[in-house]
Amino acid sequence: MKSKNNGKDFCMFALPGMFCFFAVVIVPFVYGVYLTLTDWNGVAKVKNFIGLKNFSGVMKDGQFWTSLLLTFKYVIFVVLIVNVLAFAIAYLLTRGIKGQNFFRAGFFTPNLIGGIVLGYIWQFVFSRVFVSIGESTGWKLFEVSWLSDPTNAFIALVVVSVWQLSGYMILIYVAGFMGLSEDVMEAASIDGASGFVKLKSIIMPLMMSSITICLFLTLSRAFMVYDVNLSLTAGAPYGTTEMAAMHVYEKAFTSRQFGVGQAEAFILFIIVAVISGLQVYFTKKQEVEA
Amino acid sequence: MRRKFMKKVTASGLVMVLMMTMLTGCRFGFASDPDDPNEEEKEVPIDTSVDTFEYDTSLSGTNITLLNSKAEIQVALEAMGAEYEKKSGVHVEVMPVTDGDSPYTKVVSLYNSGTPPTASILDTTDVIALAEEKAADLTGEPWTEEAEGYLTEIDGKIYSFPLCIEGRGIIYNKAVIEEALGEEFHPESVTTQSAFTDILDRLVEAGIEKPVSVAKEDWSLGAHHLQYIYETYEGTSEGAQEIIEDIKAGKVDLDSYKRLSEFLDMFDILKKYNVAKGDPLGADYDEMAIDLADGKTAFWFNGNWAWPNLSEAGAEEADEYGFLPYFMNDDKSDFANEQIQASPSKQVMLDGQIASDKEQAAAKEFLNWIVYSEIGQQMLVKTCNIIPPFKNNPYEPSDPLSADIYKKVHEEKAFNASAIVPNDHWAVLGASMQKYLAGRSDRNELTEDIQKYWDEQE
Amino acid sequence: MKQTTIGGTKRKVTNALAMAGLIIIFIAYMFPFIMVVINSLKQKRDIIKSPFSWLFTIKGLSFDNFVKAFTQMDFLNAFKNSLIVTVSATVLVTLLAAMLAYYIVRHNNGISKLTFALMVASMIIPFQAIMIPLVSIYGGTLNVLNHRVTLIFMHTGFSMAMSVFMFHGFIKGNVPMALEEAAYIDGCTHSQTFFKIVLPLLKPIISTMVILNSLAFWNDFLLPSLVLTDKKLLTLPLSTYSFYGTYSADYGTIMAGLLLCVVPILILYIALQKQIIGGVVAGAVK
Repeated sequence: MKSKNNGKDFCMFALPGMFCFFAVVIVPFVYGVYLTLTDWNGVAKVKNFIGLKNFSGVMKDGQFWTSLLLTFKYVIFVVLIVNVLAFAIAYLLTRGIKGQNFFRAGFFTPNLIGGIVLGYIWQFVFSRVFVSIGESTGWKLFEVSWLSDPTNAFIALVVVSVWQLSGYMILIYVAGFMGLSEDVMEAASIDGASGFVKLKSIIMPLMMSSITICLFLTLSRAFMVYDVNLSLTAGAPYGTTEMAAMHVYEKAFTSRQFGVGQAEAFILFIIVAVISGLQVYFTKKQEVEA
Repeated sequence: MRRKFMKKVTASGLVMVLMMTMLTGCRFGFASDPDDPNEEEKEVPIDTSVDTFEYDTSLSGTNITLLNSKAEIQVALEAMGAEYEKKSGVHVEVMPVTDGDSPYTKVVSLYNSGTPPTASILDTTDVIALAEEKAADLTGEPWTEEAEGYLTEIDGKIYSFPLCIEGRGIIYNKAVIEEALGEEFHPESVTTQSAFTDILDRLVEAGIEKPVSVAKEDWSLGAHHLQYIYETYEGTSEGAQEIIEDIKAGKVDLDSYKRLSEFLDMFDILKKYNVAKGDPLGADYDEMAIDLADGKTAFWFNGNWAWPNLSEAGAEEADEYGFLPYFMNDDKSDFANEQIQASPSKQVMLDGQIASDKEQAAAKEFLNWIVYSEIGQQMLVKTCNIIPPFKNNPYEPSDPLSADIYKKVHEEKAFNASAIVPNDHWAVLGASMQKYLAGRSDRNELTEDIQKYWDEQE
Repeated sequence: MKQTTIGGTKRKVTNALAMAGLIIIFIAYMFPFIMVVINSLKQKRDIIKSPFSWLFTIKGLSFDNFVKAFTQMDFLNAFKNSLIVTVSATVLVTLLAAMLAYYIVRHNNGISKLTFALMVASMIIPFQAIMIPLVSIYGGTLNVLNHRVTLIFMHTGFSMAMSVFMFHGFIKGNVPMALEEAAYIDGCTHSQTFFKIVLPLLKPIISTMVILNSLAFWNDFLLPSLVLTDKKLLTLPLSTYSFYGTYSADYGTIMAGLLLCVVPILILYIALQKQIIGGVVAGAVK
């Protein structure tokens, strides 16, 4: 598509989309970064330039770094489990098994439940179902609600996030598997490649673009976890499950330190940008071009 | 292909039937029980025949917005706004603050979007944060005379309208206690910590193994429990302010501050008899209401806002529920042992920055209408189920919890002290309290946390 | 439907095992949704007291919650609003993102690279960080809040990055250059080539993106709550506000409201599933 009317192409194909994106995302973001350099509190009429003072406020906020560390731990678990599980389920769901449409619709349902209902239902599961299982079986593991113990509450967060995110990633992996031509799969079978070999040497490389996307999406979403955090544990017990994004929000609006909160959001953004940038760079290298 | 099509038709047919049944309200299976507590939803009749309020006709046609952060009265406020519009021609649009948003966040984003609400129902701390920059000065408004003692002054000026009085303490279910003990229960006879423990022990003997419910929520622990240490300093808002300043300045040693150790004594009692003692942080708020209504427990630490929960749990307005004080010690002459805490909680602030003069005038008239018109007075109490902070309002709330607070306020069995603490106090120290409740920290650690929190405040 | 059955008893055993595992996981996935369905028919006290009890053991089971949700939400009006916003934004973002991604894949120049890098990076901006700047620009400065068009525009802008990212990956991997070159030789213009040759090849990813985007727009709460305050414009999730109290929530009605909100999305999903499968056939042509 190399031609003279490159400019026309640009205006027609690229410009409208770019305009929406820049106007809605980039401009407010830049403005937001500027705000981190001021003492604006969200309501005042005047904004005084104070340089990097907000960032030194971030350094002093120990809770932010604790929450960031916890977020890292959480991200590692969530990204790994979500992708392995979603990949496997999507693979099974595109093998023409009986009732596969029904199954797919079922795996889609986590996408339908959000907000307070999500937290409410899962609180039920952890504080009631598990506890009643514990009562009838005497298993120590389920004796008390998982949400009242820091470690178990963390596990609960991971479980719910895996449930929710993998519902989303299954959709993308399914589309990826569907995009593979049947020829490839059949050719692989005729060649006598089976099981793990087939998976590793034929399917994986062809699925790399889906994997890149899903890894990236899980990575960024896990770093930004807010809804699940708020509705399931809200940081409880005693603030031990407060993740970075929730802390940032609390800092800006509950503690009323708008500038520091905004600066923390910016730092969080840089960290996630670096990590996911690296991930995309490395997985993209593995992709096979059609 | 054909079969697929048929399947589709059947599926859409099913959806249609479902929608139809829903729309016609057709019942499914069993007929409902007439005694079912969830059935009611009765409209409280409002007498609109008498109305001597003088409306300013020049305001007719003005539109004002009211941001409501008290979600449970959203529908009632809309009704109130509609009634006011009928009489005055001023349209009141009630905007809700929704799930996940704090009122402050909502107001901030609305101010930034250039469309702030003409009036906002906020917490006192929010008003203090916004007053200087945004609020209209309400000093000298007629209603201020009726709300004496319940006004919040900021630099000598009044920026907010106290919407309601809320009180908290140990809620009791009289019938349950009387049935268990086999004798009459006189709440006013319990005036000391040990008298309270005594009743608890007797309830345990009578078979109610764990008679108390303690919510695990950080707002309950961090604000409603812990703030007693400031509020009982001398039972006034000024006193609370004084002790907070002293703690902040390091003038008070928390280790030897009497109210803190007394508070913890009481908290330990509640902890000991807690129905969820085995897993205090696994307690469920809604279940506590059911436990109290059903008699599994006899006490619940909470406030009059718990009535909707109790009512849903099956409690009737005729049932006898009421409040015991948060007993601090065994001294019968200590006011904290015979009075419960009750103070204005939600404040209405008017926008003085962007709203036009006409809009401000209309919002001011609406506030006066609530206080002075016969209809407004009734609706505040009956429709919104609020305890009015205004002396001239002759109506009494009907649910037993609010009625008990109302009675105590009028019998001077309530102290009006609200501690103005930084907005994250409940969240930060609520977490420390949770830790203490769960037995994962001791008094020393909790005291240190409190001290540390105040040291970090500027 | 296509059936890939390749013989061998070993394969059958593994298939059976995989099936069993799948069913167990499936139940775990469905469980919360089933809970919502069951409890939407119960009254609040029953929901709290016995959330798991099976439907018919509870008395007073009824569609009351649905009726209440339906009327309190002003369902038809909110439905109309949600539909307008979701459909417009989905069409807009799908088309614009496909075009932009196509441009980026086929033009490996500085602008493409920069835009793509910015988009990838932007996906990790926490929304809370741009919430206040966004409303001050669009409300305080431009004064265009409280219009559906603004919301559609913002939805489009916010989901642009991810959509472009997804299309980019798909076009790179699944759209062979050879087809386009053949089209140019036949005298097609760029836009003809795109709409007639490339777009049909994108069917599977378009279906996926339509589902993902419409799901996001349909269910979004935070952005519409910032943009729309006028009652007449409220979308479905916004209209459920009255079920939430400060100290208690009306769970039965919330769950009924949730189901009323998601039924259209479920129908869309089931309809589009066939498209995704159809896409395989189209993909096999290459």
